[in-house]
Amino acid sequence: MRVLLVSKLAQSSRAVSTIVKYAEAAGEMGHQVAVFGEKDSDFPGLDFSLDVTAFDVAIFVVYMPFDFPDLPYLATLLDGVPKERRIVIDCLGRYNETIRVEHDFNHLEKMEGHQGWEWIEAFQAVAGRVLQPTLTPRRNDVTSFLFHGYDPAAVARPYRSAAEAAAAWATDRPRKTYGIAYVGNNWQRWTQVRAFLEKLEPIRNEVGRICLVGWDWARRPDWAAQLGIRGADVDPDLLARLGVETRDAIPFTAVRDFLAQASFSPVFQRPLFNELGLVTNRTFETFTCDTVPLLCLPKTLAETIYGPAVVPLVVDADVADHVQDVMRRPERYWQAVLEVRRHLGEHHSFGRRLGELVTMLAK
Amino acid sequence: MKVLFVTDRRVDAGSVQALANYSRAGDKLGHTMAVYGSPDPRFGDMHVSTDVTAFDYLVFVFESKLRWMSGLQLARILAGVPRHRRAILDADGMYNRPIVLDGYDHNHVSERDHGEWLAYYTELADRIFQPTLAPREATVEPLLFYGYDPESVMPEQPTSEKAFDVLHVAHNWWRWRELSRRLLPALEEIRPRVGPIAFVGAWWEGAPSWAGALGLEAAFAVDGARLRQLAIDLRPPVPYRDVIATMSAGRVNIMTQRPLLRYLQFVTSKYFEIFTADTTPLIMIDPDQAELVYGPAGRALTLAGRIGDRVLDALARPARYREIVETVRGYLSIRHSYRQRVLELVRALER
Repeated sequence: MRVLLVSKLAQSSRAVSTIVKYAEAAGEMGHQVAVFGEKDSDFPGLDFSLDVTAFDVAIFVVYMPFDFPDLPYLATLLDGVPKERRIVIDCLGRYNETIRVEHDFNHLEKMEGHQGWEWIEAFQAVAGRVLQPTLTPRRNDVTSFLFHGYDPAAVARPYRSAAEAAAAWATDRPRKTYGIAYVGNNWQRWTQVRAFLEKLEPIRNEVGRICLVGWDWARRPDWAAQLGIRGADVDPDLLARLGVETRDAIPFTAVRDFLAQASFSPVFQRPLFNELGLVTNRTFETFTCDTVPLLCLPKTLAETIYGPAVVPLVVDADVADHVQDVMRRPERYWQAVLEVRRHLGEHHSFGRRLGELVTMLAK
Repeated sequence: MKVLFVTDRRVDAGSVQALANYSRAGDKLGHTMAVYGSPDPRFGDMHVSTDVTAFDYLVFVFESKLRWMSGLQLARILAGVPRHRRAILDADGMYNRPIVLDGYDHNHVSERDHGEWLAYYTELADRIFQPTLAPREATVEPLLFYGYDPESVMPEQPTSEKAFDVLHVAHNWWRWRELSRRLLPALEEIRPRVGPIAFVGAWWEGAPSWAGALGLEAAFAVDGARLRQLAIDLRPPVPYRDVIATMSAGRVNIMTQRPLLRYLQFVTSKYFEIFTADTTPLIMIDPDQAELVYGPAGRALTLAGRIGDRVLDALARPARYREIVETVRGYLSIRHSYRQRVLELVRALER
């Protein structure tokens, strides 16, 4: 199958990592995946095309309004690909009634100028099908398709046993740059990050350096203050008190190696995603890194995606106890990591995902 | 006919005054003329709609900015309304091939920029209108678009109630060269004999922060010290609904037009608003263009020769100028009313 993905690519956000993996998997499986647009040398691993007639399906991967291309390109797509062969993957749950969870929304009218109905009508106008990366879509006219996936070949250190992994981790831990590192942008995560950091405070000296990597961790951006938007809140005083370092966003190609410099890496999701059961690239990517994931996710969601073996990796209210326990008996946790990796490889590989997509489109 | 105008709705700039008039005039003629968008109290005097499929035609009104519609909006519009029912009003001549006037005002910074506009327009609509009687591009259809509303004419107030002797209501957008070379020297000569003067509009205090990044410093050039020396009161822009009342606070209003639009012989909202206000309009456009739009009497209101003398004359003999203004208003009522404009638009779209 020849798949044309339509999305605005960025080095450190949204679906770029997943899209690159689709391209790799497609090559291995005899399919073709390209990104709609002019050749972009910033993404050497991707093919680009403007020849919409050369593809069986056009898939709009939508996070933001600008993921729909501008004119003249949009018209090329709409004129050149029949609606029944146009699909939207709705990565942020835009294709729902307006949902608010804490101060997280699926329709950010104040920032983007679009109300909920505009999203719904635009999706209906553009595409014959809407897919969402959740196992539990809320609307009857949405198909579940997780979209993101896991690449077993990308695992930084594929240990043969939990004992080997735990020994290596324990040996490396004093040499690692960070005790805990998180890669993700400061958008709708501060409530969780704050709670996580505050609970770590009693064992702060045991943990090692802590680093947050991504947009706007150093301070709340001016635009958020001007618009009265809470989604990029941060408390620089708290970060200073806990000695938490902040760094700008890094490219998607650097994430795995960066997280290998940390003993632990938390996985946070936006409250909206937890509510809708949406998965992201990070849901899977952290398990390819040489670090112990600290899953700050609803337990049910974690078990659904990662399988039953994930339970030890889900952090409950007592973060400090959890981290100390991993340090005391790492093998138990690495056992869980390896079992989850196996589960992900079996159920959520990019090859499997692409196969699901092809089957779905062939129906 | 049902027409939906799609535009970058700005409360103090652009074509929004005209669109409100289309709403009113359309109602009287049995046509529905609405503007794309949700209800907004700032634009309370026009019909609004977001149901693009409920209209016979969509008319996109473009000024100097190309990408004001998001991909989300475009996706909905393009998928919902076929191309042959979409038209463009190219209000600032961006469809024209690159024009540079005296190394100053221009429509495009490069051929590439022009190419982007062309590609965009080509995919958006089949037809391009421009607000001129003399389009320079063969594929453009003339459609004056902007008009005059006789019912909005402000009642005459005594000159003693006017706060200003001279007003200039316009944004500082490609106007400085003409002002600094023609108008300001004239005002400097007569300043002691003229009462309060004000410029009302955006960017008279200085260029916006983003001007440099877009290479538009020249468009916003201004010499604040020179304006201060002339004791010119700088006032912020007013919402479109207050423009005519604001103009009416001046005994004399001077209308300037950016060089590009003058060169292209485009009309604008201001051409007609200024004759709706209770003021003496003095028009800094070519006399032939003035006669073409305003009729023969329009020539008498142009500032083609000694500007200072004309301003003083207008202040000294308001009754004489009032007669000229009334003659022009009569001409505008017959030739350029919004009733006429709606009918022209309907005919043009049906062609």
